[in-house]
Amino acid sequence: MSLKGIRTNDKHIKNLANIVEGNRSILYKKEDLLAYDCDGFTIYRHLPRAVVFPNNTEEVAKIVKYCHEHDLPFLARGAGTGLSGGAIPLNGEVIISLVKMKRLISVDFENRRAVVEPGFVNLKLTNSISDKGYYYAPDPSSQYCCTIGGNVGENAGGAHCLKYGVTTNHILGLEVVLPNGEVIEIGKDGIPDAPGYDLLGLLTGSEGTLGIVTKITVRILKNPEAKQTVLAYFDNVADGSQAVSDIISAGIVPAALEMMDQIAIEAVEAAAFPVGHPKDIEALLLIEVDGISAGIDEQIHQILEVCKRNHVREVKVAQSEEERARWWANRKTGFGAMGAISPDYLVQDGVIPRSKLPEVLNRIHEISREYGLRIANIFHAGDGNLHPLVLFDARKPGETEKALKAGSACLQACADAGGSITGEHGVGIEKREEMRFIFSDEEIAAQTDIREVFNPKNLLNAGKLFPTPGRCLEVKKEGKSVTAS
Amino acid sequence: MLQGELYTELKDVFPESQMEVKENEGHPLGNGGKVAVYPKTENEISHILQYANKNGKTVSIVGGGTKRGFGGLIDSADILLSLANLKGIVEHTVGDMTLTVKAGTPFQELQQYLEEHNQKISLDPAWPDYATIGGIIAANESGPKRLAYGSARDAVIGLRVVYPNGKVIRTGGKVVKNVAGYDMNKLFVGSMGTLGVLTEITLKLRPLPKYESNVLLSFTEGDFAEMRSFAAAFLDSQMEPVSLELISPSLAEKLTGEKFYTLAISFEDNESSVHYQESFLKSIQPPKTKMTILAQEKARKFWQSFYTISPNGRVSNQTGETEAVLKIGVVNLDVLKVIRESHLLQDTHNLLIEAHGGLGHGLCQIVLRGGSENVISAIQHLRNFVKQLNGYAVIKHLPFILRQKIEVWGENPPYFFLFKGIKTKIDPNNILNPKRFVGGI
Amino acid sequence: MGLNESDLIKEPACQTNSFSNYLWSDPPDENKWADCVHCGMCLESCPTYEITGQEQHSPRGRVHLIKSVAEGKLEVNEHFMDPVFACLDCRACTTACPADVDVGGLIEEARGQIRQAMPLKGWKKAVSHLFLHSLFPHHNRLYTLGNVLKLYQKSGMQTFVRKTGLINIIPQHLAEMEAIMPEVKKPVRKKYKHEKVIKAKGETKSTVAFLTGCVMDVMFSEINEATINVLTRNGNDVMIPQNQTCCGALHVHAGDREMGRKLAKQNIEAFQHAEKVIVNSAGCGCMLKEYPELFREDPVWRQKAETFSKKVEDISKYLYDTGYKRPIAEIKARVVYHDACHLAHGQGIRDEPRSLLLDIPGVEMVEMANADRCCGSAGIYNITNPEMAKEVLDSKMKNVPKEAEMIVMGNPGCMLQMAMGVQKNGRNQKIVHTVQLLDWAYQKEDRLKEGEECL
Repeated sequence: MSLKGIRTNDKHIKNLANIVEGNRSILYKKEDLLAYDCDGFTIYRHLPRAVVFPNNTEEVAKIVKYCHEHDLPFLARGAGTGLSGGAIPLNGEVIISLVKMKRLISVDFENRRAVVEPGFVNLKLTNSISDKGYYYAPDPSSQYCCTIGGNVGENAGGAHCLKYGVTTNHILGLEVVLPNGEVIEIGKDGIPDAPGYDLLGLLTGSEGTLGIVTKITVRILKNPEAKQTVLAYFDNVADGSQAVSDIISAGIVPAALEMMDQIAIEAVEAAAFPVGHPKDIEALLLIEVDGISAGIDEQIHQILEVCKRNHVREVKVAQSEEERARWWANRKTGFGAMGAISPDYLVQDGVIPRSKLPEVLNRIHEISREYGLRIANIFHAGDGNLHPLVLFDARKPGETEKALKAGSACLQACADAGGSITGEHGVGIEKREEMRFIFSDEEIAAQTDIREVFNPKNLLNAGKLFPTPGRCLEVKKEGKSVTAS
Repeated sequence: MLQGELYTELKDVFPESQMEVKENEGHPLGNGGKVAVYPKTENEISHILQYANKNGKTVSIVGGGTKRGFGGLIDSADILLSLANLKGIVEHTVGDMTLTVKAGTPFQELQQYLEEHNQKISLDPAWPDYATIGGIIAANESGPKRLAYGSARDAVIGLRVVYPNGKVIRTGGKVVKNVAGYDMNKLFVGSMGTLGVLTEITLKLRPLPKYESNVLLSFTEGDFAEMRSFAAAFLDSQMEPVSLELISPSLAEKLTGEKFYTLAISFEDNESSVHYQESFLKSIQPPKTKMTILAQEKARKFWQSFYTISPNGRVSNQTGETEAVLKIGVVNLDVLKVIRESHLLQDTHNLLIEAHGGLGHGLCQIVLRGGSENVISAIQHLRNFVKQLNGYAVIKHLPFILRQKIEVWGENPPYFFLFKGIKTKIDPNNILNPKRFVGGI
Repeated sequence: MGLNESDLIKEPACQTNSFSNYLWSDPPDENKWADCVHCGMCLESCPTYEITGQEQHSPRGRVHLIKSVAEGKLEVNEHFMDPVFACLDCRACTTACPADVDVGGLIEEARGQIRQAMPLKGWKKAVSHLFLHSLFPHHNRLYTLGNVLKLYQKSGMQTFVRKTGLINIIPQHLAEMEAIMPEVKKPVRKKYKHEKVIKAKGETKSTVAFLTGCVMDVMFSEINEATINVLTRNGNDVMIPQNQTCCGALHVHAGDREMGRKLAKQNIEAFQHAEKVIVNSAGCGCMLKEYPELFREDPVWRQKAETFSKKVEDISKYLYDTGYKRPIAEIKARVVYHDACHLAHGQGIRDEPRSLLLDIPGVEMVEMANADRCCGSAGIYNITNPEMAKEVLDSKMKNVPKEAEMIVMGNPGCMLQMAMGVQKNGRNQKIVHTVQLLDWAYQKEDRLKEGEECL
C-alpha cells in the first residue's frame, strides 16, 4: 500500500506496509492493536507489533520471508475465535490476519471437494453448496464466524464429529507458507495418500506453529437423506450418562450426542435462544441420527427405548426443521450464553473414555465445591469430550487465578481417567503446562523436534503448545503486566 | 562384520532363544536381515534398537511379511526385527469402542475376536489372515470400503513407538477425540517403519453392521461414458455406499466368472436401509448392464476372495512370471481412466493385469503379471499416464532386483527436505528400514 | 446436584471506576460489557467488519476498546473515536450475540463521552449543527426547507442544476443524495393542523397517537398519509399531538445525548395522554422505546420514559397484532423486503411486515440473502462516513435480486439510501414503505368498488 498516512518510526512497519496492496492493509496504532491483544481466550493479553492484511499467498510469503530475515516473531490469525489463546501475540508478534483471503476458489461436486482460502468462514462453505445438497461436515459451535484456516490450525471438531470425524478427516490438500517464506503444496488436487510422511495430518492441528496455510482443499459431503433429532430430559446425570453408553452399545452411531447439565441449562435459557427446558432436571441429551430414510425410524425407536429404560423424564423427537434448528441454536450458543449468568467464564476441553463419564462428572462437582466456583457442563457426550465451564468474575481479586486452577483440576481429572486435556480447542497458551498431565518430557521433546524441522528459528507462534520451563512463567508475567498496566 | 560377531553381541542384550541366524539370504523380495530377532516385549525391542543405534547396525522390520516386496533397496540389513511374537490384545473397553493391541497381531484374529462383541475395526486390507495390524498401519493400508470408513490414518487414535534410541514414545491417547500437541499418530501411520517401531496401537472401533450386501453391476458393453455418468449420478444421490469399486474385466472374471467392467457397490446398515438402497440402484440401473445382488454371507465371501488377489510377500512366487502391484492415486472419477488404461495395457504389453479402483476415493490397485521387461515398461507407461492427471503411482510389490531399476516411490516432491529433516531428527544414524521409503529414506 | 449461586460466598464486585478515562457523566455502562465474553459470534453480523476485516471495527473489538478506556488503558482521543464512530449502530450484533450484549447502547454512551471530550470542528461541526440543532427539532424550519426543495424540484431548477453541472460543486456524496430526493408534498402535520382527531372510517375501535417524525413528514409525507389512511381504515381514530418533536435518534447516534434528553422530554410530555404511540419509522420507534436508557442517572424521568416507551409500537406490528382488513384488490408486484436494522435488530420485528405484504393479493416475495444486513444509511451516517456507507450499500445491493420490482422496507433513512443504491447500480426498482403498499391496495379496492376500473 502507499505509505501515505503511515506515521511511525518503526521501519519494519513501513516495510511490511510496502508489501501489501490495497487499503486498510496494516494496523499499528495502539487503539487499533488493542482489538488484537487476545482471541476467544481472554485471560492473557499482549499487544501485537502490527497487524498486516495480505491479499494472497505471494504477499503472505513475502511478509513471512521479511519476518524470517529480520528475526521478527509473527503468527497467523483468522477470526480470532480460538479458545486456548493460540492467536495471542505473547511476544509482540506481527499478526498476519488472513481475513482478506476469504474466497471460495472452486467446488467440484462430482469429486466431492472444494478449495477455499483460509479466511473463508466455515458455515459459508455449507451455505454456498447447500443448494446442490452438499455440506462441509466439521461444525464447531463458532462456525458462524470461524475460518476454515483456523479450523485447520486447531483441527476443529464440532457436535457432528462423532459420526463424521474432525477437521483432519476432511482435509485433502493444503498450500502452506513455511516459516522461512517458502511455499509448498501438499495433497495436489486433493488426491489422497501422497507418497511420504503424512504432512497433511501433521500440519492439521499444529496450532499455527509449523506453517501458515494459504489454500485448503476440503472434502464435501452429500446431505443425509433423513435426519431426526431427539431431546431427552433426565432427573439425574447418572441416568443420562448411562443412556449415552447404551445408545452407542446398541450399535447406533449418532451424528451427534450432546449433553448439558443444570447450570448450563440455566444459562442457555437465560440467553438469546431459550427453548423452554425445565430448570429442575440434571441433564439433557440432544441426540441426532441421520442416514438413509428407510433405516432411521428403527434407530429412533431404539433411542427412545434406551431413554425410557434409563428413567427419562421426558423425551421428544423434533417435529419440524424449525424446532430442530431452535434446539441446535440453543446448544451452539451455549458458551457465549454463559455471559448471561456470569461476567467471565473459562471453558475447558477435556476428553475421557465414554465409560468414565459419571465418575469424572462427580469429580468436577467436587472441584466446583473445593474452589467455590460454579462449573457448568456442556459437552459432546458421544465422544467423551467434556466442556466444563468455570464461571467467575475477573473483577474480584484472585478469582481469575482460582478459576484457572479449577480448570486445570478438571483437566487433571480427565487425564487421571485415561483421557486427554483437549479434544478440539487446542493447547495454545492455556494448557501448555497441562501437557505434562499426559506426556512425559521425552514425548514433549519428540514433538518439539518436529517443530524444529519446520520452524527452526521458532519465530512462528512461539511459546504455544508446549511447556517450556522458566520461559512460560516469564510470558505469563508479561501478559499480566499488560492487563494491569 | 561377520554374522557370528553380530549374533554374539546381540546375545548380550537379547534372549538367544528368540534369535535366529539367517543362513540363506538373498530373498527374491529383499528386506531381510543377517540375524533375525523375535522379541516378545517392547522392552526387548528397546534393547535391540539401543544396541543397533549405538553400534550403527541397520534394522529391517517385518510383521506378517505380506509387504516384503514393498520398497527397500537393501537385500539384507544387519538385524531383521520380526514382530510376529509381539501379539495379543492389551485392552478392549467394549463401551468405549476402543481397542489397544500389540503390533504383531494378525488382522483377522482381531476381527474374529471383535465379532463376539458386535464390533469391528473399520479397515479392509489385503491378506487379513497374515497382515499384522502393525504392518497395516505402517503402510497406511486401505481397501474399497475406505469410501465410507476412511483409511488407517483415520482409525488410529494412539500409538506406542520405540524410537531408534530405544526410548518409548506415546502418541495420541485412548480417546477418540484428541488435539493435545501435534497429531503425531499421523507421522507414523504410513511411515514404512523408517521412524520407529510400532509396538502398541489403539484404534477406534465401529459397530458391526446389522446387514450387508454387495451389488455387482456389470457393464456388458464396456461403455465408459455410461459408467461415468452412472457413477456421477449415483454419487450425487443420498445413498450411502461403503464401496463403489470399479473392477477391470480380467479381475471381474476371476471374482465373478464374467469378463465385464463391474462395479462392486456395497451397503452396510440395518436391513431395511440396505434393501432400500438396493432398490434405488435398480431404479437407476443403466441399460445394457447386469445386476447381481450378493447378500450377507455371499457378500462376505466375495470380499474375502477380493482381499487375496494381490501377490502375498510371504509366499514365494513359483510361477516364474514377474509380479508387481501398483498403488495409484488420482482425483476420484479419474479412476475410470486409470482402470481402462490398465486394461488396455494387457494386450499391448502382453501381461495379465487385474485392476480396481474406488470412484469415491481415487485410489487404484493394479496387479501386473508377466515378463519382467513388460512389467517395468507397463509401470512406466502408467506412471506417465497418471502424471498427466496430476496423480502418482507407487510400486507396492516388485522383486528386489527390479526395484533397483525403477524408482518405487516416484519422483521426490519439492518438500522432500522436510521428510529428510524429520528422518534425520528422529533417526540420525539411519538405522531403521534404511532406503525403504521415499527418496531413499 | 450442581452448585447453586446461593451456596457461594458473595463478595462485592470491586470498583474499577477509579482508573476510568471517562470523565463525564453518563459513561458506558459496565454491566453492558460484563456480558461480553469475546467469543466472536458477532463478527460476521457486522457490516463494518465485513468491509474492513479489522477487529477494531467489529462489535467485540469496539466493546473491548470501550472497556479499555474505562480500565484506564486507553484515552478518549481521535484514534478511539474512529472505530466508535465508524459503527453504523445497526444492532445486528445484538441479534447475533449469544449473551445479548447491548453493543448499540455502549456505542451511544461512548459517543456521548467522545462528543463532550472532543467537540466537533470544521465542516463536520457545521453539517452536524445544521441538521441536528437547527433543522430536525424545528418542524417549521424543516417545512420551510421542504418548500424550498419543492420549489427547487418544481421550478425546473433541479433539472437546471443537474444539467449545468452546478451539482459538481456539492461534495460527491451529497450530490448523490440529491439525485434521489423524493418529491416533496404537504406534510400531514400541516394538513391536519386543525383536526384534533382524524376519525376512523366506520366504527371506532381504538384511538392512537401518531408520531409523524421530522424528516419523514417533510420528505415522505406520502407515507404519513398512507399510515393515517391505513389506520383509519382499520377502525383507529388518529391523533397528531402538535407539540411532538424529532425523536432524537440522530442526536443520540451522534453522541449528543443532552439534546437527545431534551427532545425525549418534549415527546414524553407531548404523548402523555396517548394510549398507543404509532411510529412508521423504524429508527424513531427504536429510539422512543429506548428513552429509558437516556435517563439512567435520573430516576424520575426514567420512570416516565419507561411508561412512555411501553406505549410505542411500529405500525406493522400494531396492525399485525390488532388485526387489519385483508385487501381485495390485486397489486401485481414482485417485491423483496429489506429489514431495517432498527426494526429487525432494534425491535425484533421481522415476520409482521412480511406477513402484511404477503396478505396483499398479487404480491410475490423474492428471497434476499442477508435481508437484515444494514444498507449503510444509519441515520446521518451516510453523510458523516460516506466511504464506509458506500461500501456497505454496495454490499447490500449485490444481494438485491435483479428480478425484484420493488424493494419494501419500514424506515425512511433506508428508503433514501436504497434509492441511491438503485440509481447508482442502474436498476429501476421502486422503493416503497410497507404501509404504502398496503394503502395502495386499499385505494385500488376503493376505485374498483366505485367502478372506475374494471377487474
